[in-house]
Amino acid sequence: MTPLHLRSAAASRAALIDYGKFFLLAGLAVWLLTLGTRGMGYNWQWYRVPRFLFTTEGGVWAAGPLLQGLWVTLEISLLSLLCTLILGLTAALFRLSDSFTARALARGYLELIRNTPLLIQIFFVYFVISPVLDIGAFASAVLALSLFEGAYAAEILRAGIVSLQRGQWEAAHCLGLGLFDTYRDVILPQAVRRVLPPLAGQGISLIKDSSLVSTIAIYDLTMQGQKIVSETFLAFEIWFTVAAIYLVMTFGLSFAVRALEHRMNGFPIRGAGGIA
Amino acid sequence: MSADERIIEAREIAKTFPGGVVALDRFTLAVRRGEVVVIIIGPSGSGKSTFLRCLNGLEEIDGGSIVIDGIPLDHHRKNRLLIRQEVGMVFQSFNLFPHMTVRENIDLAQIRVRKKTRTDAAETTMSLLAKVGITEKADRYPHELSGGQQQRVAIARALAMSPKVMLFDEATSALDPEMIGEVLDVMRTLAAEGMTMVVVTHEMGFAREAGDRIVFMENGRIVEEGETERFFAAPREERTHAFLGQIL
Repeated sequence: MTPLHLRSAAASRAALIDYGKFFLLAGLAVWLLTLGTRGMGYNWQWYRVPRFLFTTEGGVWAAGPLLQGLWVTLEISLLSLLCTLILGLTAALFRLSDSFTARALARGYLELIRNTPLLIQIFFVYFVISPVLDIGAFASAVLALSLFEGAYAAEILRAGIVSLQRGQWEAAHCLGLGLFDTYRDVILPQAVRRVLPPLAGQGISLIKDSSLVSTIAIYDLTMQGQKIVSETFLAFEIWFTVAAIYLVMTFGLSFAVRALEHRMNGFPIRGAGGIA
Repeated sequence: MSADERIIEAREIAKTFPGGVVALDRFTLAVRRGEVVVIIIGPSGSGKSTFLRCLNGLEEIDGGSIVIDGIPLDHHRKNRLLIRQEVGMVFQSFNLFPHMTVRENIDLAQIRVRKKTRTDAAETTMSLLAKVGITEKADRYPHELSGGQQQRVAIARALAMSPKVMLFDEATSALDPEMIGEVLDVMRTLAAEGMTMVVVTHEMGFAREAGDRIVFMENGRIVEEGETERFFAAPREERTHAFLGQIL
C-alpha cells in the first residue's frame, strides 16, 4: 500500500487538477456567452434594473414590481407546499390502504395528474373548477399546484414508507398500537427522514412550476417580469434577474432542508430497525 | 387441564405459505397459565417461528382455531386488538424503533395503548430497565447499544404492556455468543416469576433449565412433547432420539 503522506499528496494534486478543469469549463462558458451577446449586438442596460426591484424615492423604500411578484410567488409556493404535503401523504396512505376504494381513488388521481401537463391542469382548475367552487385565481393556482405536486410527493412518501423493514410494523403490531399511532409514531418519522432529499427536490420543482400560474393572470414573479420586459424590452436583464431570484428561493429551500436533515441525524437511517 | 387454566389454545391450526411450503400441519397445542413451553425445531424445520406469529395475528392461519385467554383470534377487529395487547413478542432481530431513545421505545405503548400518564409510564420504564439491567442506557438510541442490550430493551418494551403471555421468537439467534447469556438470564428471571412464555429456541441449556414442557417440532407437526425432564431423559420417538443425540 502507498504510505499515507504520499497518498494525501496525490489526493491534493488530483483535487488541484479537478479545480483546474472547473475553471477551464467556467471560463469557456463565459467566453461563449460574451461571444454570443456580442454577435447579437445587444445593448446591456443593467443600470435600469434596480428600480424594478425597489425604489427609494424621497427616502421612502418601496418594493418594485419584481419584489411584489416575489412576494406573490412566495405566498403561492408556501401555501401549495403545505397542501402538497397533506395531499401527498393522504394519497400515499390511500395507496397503501387495505381498502380497494381508497387504493383505486389514489391510483386514479396519481395517473391522471402525472400523465397530463401542469399547464392544462392549471387552465382546467381556473376555467372549469373555480367557477363551480367560486374561488379566485389565487386559490385556483394553489389548488392546481398542490394537486400536481401532491401526486409526486405521494409517490415519494409511499416509497419511503415501503422501504422500512417489516419488523417495524410487526413490533408496533405486537405492542398493540393502532394504525394511526403506528404511522404517527413509528412509520412516518422514519419514512420522512429517508425521503427528505427527494421531497426537497419536489419542493424546488414546486417553486419553479409556480411560474406557470402567470398564465391565469396572477401577478407573480414571472408575470411581473413578463410585463416589465414587454414595456421596456430589457429582455435579458430582467429575465436573468428573475432567474436569479428563483435561484435564491430554491437555494434557500435546499439549505433549510439540509439543516433539518442535519437536526434529524440523531439516529442512523440506513440499516436501521434491525441488527445494527 | 381445565378450560380456564389454559391461556393459549391452538387447535388444529394449518398454515401453508404461497409456494406450497406447509409451515403448520394441523398443529394443536395448549399452554397453561404460568407455564414455560419451549419449542425446539428439527434441522429441517421450515415454518420455524410461524406458530408464534400465528398466535398474535402476525400471520393469518388457513384453518383451525386459536383462543388466547378466552378471546378467539377471529375476524373481529376488537378481539384481534385485544390479543395484540395481551401478548408480548420478542423478535430475533430486536426491531427496536431506531428513531427513539431506549426510554421512548418503552414509553410508547404505555402512553398510546395503555393510556398511562407520562410520569406513570416513566416510572414503569425505569423499573423495567432496572429489571433487564440497563438503566444507564435510558437516553441512548438503539444503534448505540450492543445486540444483547438491544434485545434486553426489546424485552422491557414488550413487558411494559404487562402482557399475559410472552412469545420469544429465536430471541438469541442473532446475537454474538458472549451476549446470549445476558438475554437468557432475563428470560430465566421472567420464567421464575411465573410469566407464561412460549419460546422458540435452539438453546438446549435454557430449554432444560427454564422450560416446563418441551415441544419438538418438525415439518409443521409435533414430533414429540413432554415435561422437560422426561423429554430429555427418555425421549419416546426415534426422531427425537436422533435429534437430541446430534446436538447434546
